[in-house]
Amino acid sequence: MGTSGATLLAGYLAAVVCIPIAAIFGHGFGLSFDTHGAGLELWRWSLHSDFAGFTSGLSVPGAWSAIRLSIVVSGIVAAINSVMGVAIAWVLTHDHFRGKALISSMIDLPFALPTIVAGVTFIYLYGADSPVKLDLTGKVLGLGVALTFVTLPFCVRAVQPVLEAMDLDAQDAARTLGASKLRTFWSIVVPSILPAVASAYALAFARALGEYGSISLIALVGTASTTTASIFLFTQSTNFAFDGFTSAAAVAIVLLGVCFVVFSVAGTVGWWINKRLRP
Amino acid sequence: MSISLDDVAKSYGRSDGKFALNGVTAEIPSGSLTAILGPSGSGKSTLLKVIAGLEQPDRGRVCIEGDDVTDLDARFRGIGFCFQQYAPFRHLTVEKNIAYGLKVRRRPRAEISKKVAEMLELVQLGDFAKRYPAQLSGGQRQRMALARALAIEPRVLLLDEPFGALDAQVRAELRTWVKNLHDQVPITTIMVTHDQSEAMEVASQLVVLRDGRIEQTGAPGELYDHPATPFVHEFLGPTTTVGGEVVRPHDLVLRRQPGPGHQGKVTGVVALGFEVRVEVALDDGSSCWVQLTAHEFAELTVTVGDAVAVSPR
Repeated sequence: MGTSGATLLAGYLAAVVCIPIAAIFGHGFGLSFDTHGAGLELWRWSLHSDFAGFTSGLSVPGAWSAIRLSIVVSGIVAAINSVMGVAIAWVLTHDHFRGKALISSMIDLPFALPTIVAGVTFIYLYGADSPVKLDLTGKVLGLGVALTFVTLPFCVRAVQPVLEAMDLDAQDAARTLGASKLRTFWSIVVPSILPAVASAYALAFARALGEYGSISLIALVGTASTTTASIFLFTQSTNFAFDGFTSAAAVAIVLLGVCFVVFSVAGTVGWWINKRLRP
Repeated sequence: MSISLDDVAKSYGRSDGKFALNGVTAEIPSGSLTAILGPSGSGKSTLLKVIAGLEQPDRGRVCIEGDDVTDLDARFRGIGFCFQQYAPFRHLTVEKNIAYGLKVRRRPRAEISKKVAEMLELVQLGDFAKRYPAQLSGGQRQRMALARALAIEPRVLLLDEPFGALDAQVRAELRTWVKNLHDQVPITTIMVTHDQSEAMEVASQLVVLRDGRIEQTGAPGELYDHPATPFVHEFLGPTTTVGGEVVRPHDLVLRRQPGPGHQGKVTGVVALGFEVRVEVALDDGSSCWVQLTAHEFAELTVTVGDAVAVSPR
């Protein structure tokens, strides 16, 4: 194994992850190679970039508002599910009741379900002919409901193993020292699950930011107030009337950047706490 | 503070109807250091948790200094509890671990830092105040847990297998240290252990537990010399059977034949440094072993096959 394994892994990662991401950067920044007619003489090549293309791609009407909408809705949804994820994971690890296995498997349903199936479900349930008389089409709340559904499993499953592995004696110790249940939770439980919650938040946020299938129908394509970045990307990249693809690539790069920042913050929080727990 | 247990029972709702505790009644005198001794599964940890209020008994009462605390929440009992794995607050430094109970009690900051300094000195962890539990050795973690429990000036100190997770040398050191600590800070202390030598060395009173019931209670020497049941006899030290009677192997006298007592032949000699075990097949078909000091053995010089006589001292 050894180096050959590492080479294989690096090659696979390059093919599956790095090249596609490099391609979107290349397109968004208008990168091109000029070989100066020198064939394979690499030193004669030069790299050209076109940042004007990137900025003009972002100045397409609706681009920034779509990005802003995505960030805000994803941020709120990830926050709600980070809290609910802890609550659900807590109940699943601490309580024993009938039907627990069923509830546990229901949490994974959004994982397993093709997101477009969720999209169809939501347009049926909260569409114009809603059987519960709740029309969320073209409303931000509709986006929120769909994204909450899709991101819940990330939040529960990121926290659950940490709660399961947690030292129950430490909580008992806090109680014998006089702490109430609430205080025990805040002062003993929360600090130890914080890295997991941060990573749950980042996962849910990233998933919500790029989610398309489940919101594609309820957002009503063409409605400005519910055009998320992902919907904007889809409409732009299928718009061949003008160079919509460049603007799609530019928005995609911004989304990548936002995700990078969120994951970095979450990773730093986790690293900072873990380095003290396990030096 | 004295502790009294009256018919305490706890079943954990097991389907086989077996009790973890099956009617335990005991008096723990004020200021004593009592060891609850028993094999694993005898209910000793459960008993400790019931006293601390971390487990609710199915029936029976728990009183501390005459106050019935059975229905009192653990946080109001004023009990210091040290867990088997020390249960450190891993995200807090040693000093913050020790200060936890005082912070919860909203003591003034100056008082907290004074008390923490005092505790750090008591458990000899002054140089480690700013360390995190993960940076401590097992013995240091144990002492931190003790300081954390003692900082709240508990009425009672409960120790669950306090030396169980330590290696042999640290174990021996800590035993002596805990005994000295108890002399310095004479709080009523109960420790749970499955190790009889540990219990006999540290404790002034033993409670032997078996299958959720008390087998015998008393001073270590009393239990060792006058065990009430064969179980206590065997659990507190080595035993062997001679002529149908259970005796301690060091209470037997071994002589070359002719001699008084049961006649037999030596079948094995095991030298363990200061002690020598001589295995004897008796003429009645049974076998026993005799514990001799290395000196006694040197004078006797028996080897396998020699005809010997075994008699009680």
